[in-house]
Amino acid sequence: MTEFLIETQGLRKSFGKVEVLRGVDLAIPRGEVTGLLGTNGAGKSTLIRCLLGLLRPTGGTASLLGCTSWELADAEKSRLGYVAQEVQLFASFRVRDMVGYTAAFYSRWDANLVRELLERWELPESKSCGVLSAGERQKLGIVLALGHRPELLILDEPAASLDPQARRLFLESVLQLAADGERTILFSTHITSDIERAASHLAILQGGVVRLHSDLDGLKDRVKRLRITGGGGRLKAEDVPGVLKWSEQGEVVQVTTDRYSPDLPQRLHEQRGVEVLVEDLNLEDVFLAFH
Amino acid sequence: MGDFTTLFSVNPSSGVPIYRQLIEQVLGLIASGRLRAGDELPSVRQLGAVLSVNFMTISKAWARLEADGVVLHERGRGMVVQAVGGAGPTPQQLRQVRELMDQAVVRGVQCGLSRADLKAVFRASVEECGL
Repeated sequence: MTEFLIETQGLRKSFGKVEVLRGVDLAIPRGEVTGLLGTNGAGKSTLIRCLLGLLRPTGGTASLLGCTSWELADAEKSRLGYVAQEVQLFASFRVRDMVGYTAAFYSRWDANLVRELLERWELPESKSCGVLSAGERQKLGIVLALGHRPELLILDEPAASLDPQARRLFLESVLQLAADGERTILFSTHITSDIERAASHLAILQGGVVRLHSDLDGLKDRVKRLRITGGGGRLKAEDVPGVLKWSEQGEVVQVTTDRYSPDLPQRLHEQRGVEVLVEDLNLEDVFLAFH
Repeated sequence: MGDFTTLFSVNPSSGVPIYRQLIEQVLGLIASGRLRAGDELPSVRQLGAVLSVNFMTISKAWARLEADGVVLHERGRGMVVQAVGGAGPTPQQLRQVRELMDQAVVRGVQCGLSRADLKAVFRASVEECGL
């Protein structure tokens, strides 16, 4: 049986009359690195906070490491790493003190890894947390979350305040952690190229539900834009499976499908006498096609 | 033994999955003679770290190449390029050529070329190739 480190079933969460999550079904097995995409306000942070037991679901279930999120015990928490959108630090602590404070919560703490990361990320151990920039706070938050080499790492827009160089360092660290294929990572972001590099899977949250959860390579093979010409208007929308977008301009029909197969152009040619030009889509295009 | 890590580069924001980009690069490097029989592909970890790409993506590319007989996993060495001369095109390579050809044909039809025009263009292209 597949072991799901992250699992929700029909997860709902309302704030007053506003329902943000409307039945989220998501199951992420061990070893998957999943990028979570969604427009602003789609509910990414709410989902992550429900998963971590920081918010109580209004309905449905959420579990981490096989344990109900709202009832996570210390044993599960010690196997978990989390980086919040706003990293919480003690302003009066120096970086070194913040590391020591965090390390005290974990029985397995890789002090060498942390020292190395602080150095590579140019975070002086003697600097006071109160004067760190937004980017430095985020870097420190990530280092602190990696220190115990968690089995499950959840990051809420970890790259939002990072400059391109720091983002690359961040990706490298995540890839190093994931290298053994045993770590499970979920990170939300707006930077699609980070997902394309680091993730094995993609989930899109839209309108409070998971609109898509797929491996990245399969997705890029399946979602294509077709430019269709000729056929004298005989082509109908039913001829193309999995239509996401359809637009006509003069003689040219432009279709985005999420059920492309290599034999489709030939089939359409034979059935409707049309010529089909296939365009590959990157993740940003794919994301837009689903909205 | 050379280090071939620097021969590879990927564009994550291209619509082509990264593992396919890598497969095509290996096939291209072999075709151009920069990778020869007996050469070792970079390890999954090494290349993943250099390119900042998920390691599973690299191992998927290498596994496909192994399945196609382009490389062979040798104990203690990693993925080793096999002699590829005379083996003829793989079905996958044929498919790629076909797809490229299809695109050219569609473009020709869009420009109003007739069947005879297209054949003439194709013949000229093959001639200039010196085949």
